[in-house]
Amino acid sequence: MNRFLIGGMMVALGALQTPAQNPVQNPAQNQNPAQMTVAFSNPSQPRKLVVKTMMHRVTIKGYDGKDAIIESSAISERRRRERNVPPGMHPLNVGGGGIEVTEANNVVTVSAESFFGGGDIQIQVPVETSVTVNTVNNGVSVENISGEIDVESVNGGVSVTNSSGAVLATSVNGKVTVALDKVAPGKAMSFSTMNGTIDVTLPADIKANLKMKVDNGDVYTDFDVKVTNDRFDTTQSNTEKGVRIRGNKTTYGTINGGGPEMQFTTFNGRVLIHKK
Amino acid sequence: MTCEQARIQMLGGGEGKDFAEHLASCESCRNEVSRIGTLWQSLDLLPLEEPSGKVRDRFYEMLGAYRQGLAAAETRPVRHWWTAPAWQVAAAAGLLAAGLGIGYGMRGNGQPPAEVSQLREEVANMRQLVALSLMQQQSASDRLRGVSWAYRAEPSDREVLGALVTAVNHDSNVNVRLAAVDALRRFSASPETGRAALQSLSKQTTPIVQVALIDLLVDLKNPEAAPELRRLSGNETANEGVRQRAQWALERLQ
Repeated sequence: MNRFLIGGMMVALGALQTPAQNPVQNPAQNQNPAQMTVAFSNPSQPRKLVVKTMMHRVTIKGYDGKDAIIESSAISERRRRERNVPPGMHPLNVGGGGIEVTEANNVVTVSAESFFGGGDIQIQVPVETSVTVNTVNNGVSVENISGEIDVESVNGGVSVTNSSGAVLATSVNGKVTVALDKVAPGKAMSFSTMNGTIDVTLPADIKANLKMKVDNGDVYTDFDVKVTNDRFDTTQSNTEKGVRIRGNKTTYGTINGGGPEMQFTTFNGRVLIHKK
Repeated sequence: MTCEQARIQMLGGGEGKDFAEHLASCESCRNEVSRIGTLWQSLDLLPLEEPSGKVRDRFYEMLGAYRQGLAAAETRPVRHWWTAPAWQVAAAAGLLAAGLGIGYGMRGNGQPPAEVSQLREEVANMRQLVALSLMQQQSASDRLRGVSWAYRAEPSDREVLGALVTAVNHDSNVNVRLAAVDALRRFSASPETGRAALQSLSKQTTPIVQVALIDLLVDLKNPEAAPELRRLSGNETANEGVRQRAQWALERLQ
């Protein structure tokens, strides 16, 4: 496993490299001082990118290449500090804001779980990569990815555009925007937010079963949705007056005859389902 | 009476107070009874099968060809009594009547549930297997599919219920946890469901899942939920929407 720690964690990046089982470009040779390239150890196998951050805004783009390229102001900041190390001395582990990048079993993990720092993290990966992102105080945007996309944010918006994988997206206080060119057949998807709008654009020929749960809002669509409501989530309880069966506040429907399940859940927002 | 016992009763005709009480409380068994009823009714309505005209034509064609082959050797073809069309029709009708009679007899003596219930059990096992194995996949989208398969499991299936509870408590993906909370409704007749939802509420930190659990507890009318709801509604660090929902739920449960 190659392991890079940037920002107040390690003395020198170069010293960390384990024998080049996974060829990793030496950061010092990078053209861009704020950029780092990490190779997937087995390029022919399914790739995965995992990003966890407290403060950063995360942008992920699929590109026509085979490595993960990570770019962040935190990287250049760390390198600037490294250049200023007085001769014969080494920096102590002070200050946070670091980004940690690891690769193991074809999974590249980028984590920045400190409360300090912030700014942007931009990552490029091959188009056919599965992506999992967890952010807290900033948004996530994913573009041009055909693997499975699982994105979560607390206070930021979540956006997936120009993609074609299965998407599971959620936010607490942000908007969820998803635009898919085509969808992986047979994959279930789910979009949820507590206090935001869910805005999803789907291919016109998509076959799907819709499950829509909206508390204080409505669902709008230009698809020809057949509302079925033939399958209710019901609950039964035994009360002193007998059995009580209640339906859940959920609307079911199908597009183009039905297919894999797509769930939309929002409490204080509305749901828009566009036809592409 | 359990669903299993009720199903055996159903195939034998289904009588008695216990059976009626179980039907009143179990939607899936009610559906089952009406399905079986419809099946028997439509079997009764099937017309008696008559051999079609084409069968006769083909038979005579074949016979004609056979006769041509024999023509050289035999000057007078032998006509047996059983080749007469009237006898053929009678024999076909007799066999059909015997078949229906055997079928009716098997249904009448209350024994045949063996194959039918075995088949049903196999289908239930298959659905359980699909749900359980999908819920353990790496891909969150696959786990989501596993959760929707849980809707097809038997409402008494404790293994699927257990897997759903594990998903609600431990799945790394918010959307999977959310879907699993909804799927718990399928198992609402089991007292474990209410307990599990309540325990899970005290562990969850994702607001949208907390709200879904609160809604479930209200729908289950779980009175034991009150202390936890009171704690949540007074918790300054909890999400504002969750606190309001907990307050609303407390009023509904009182």
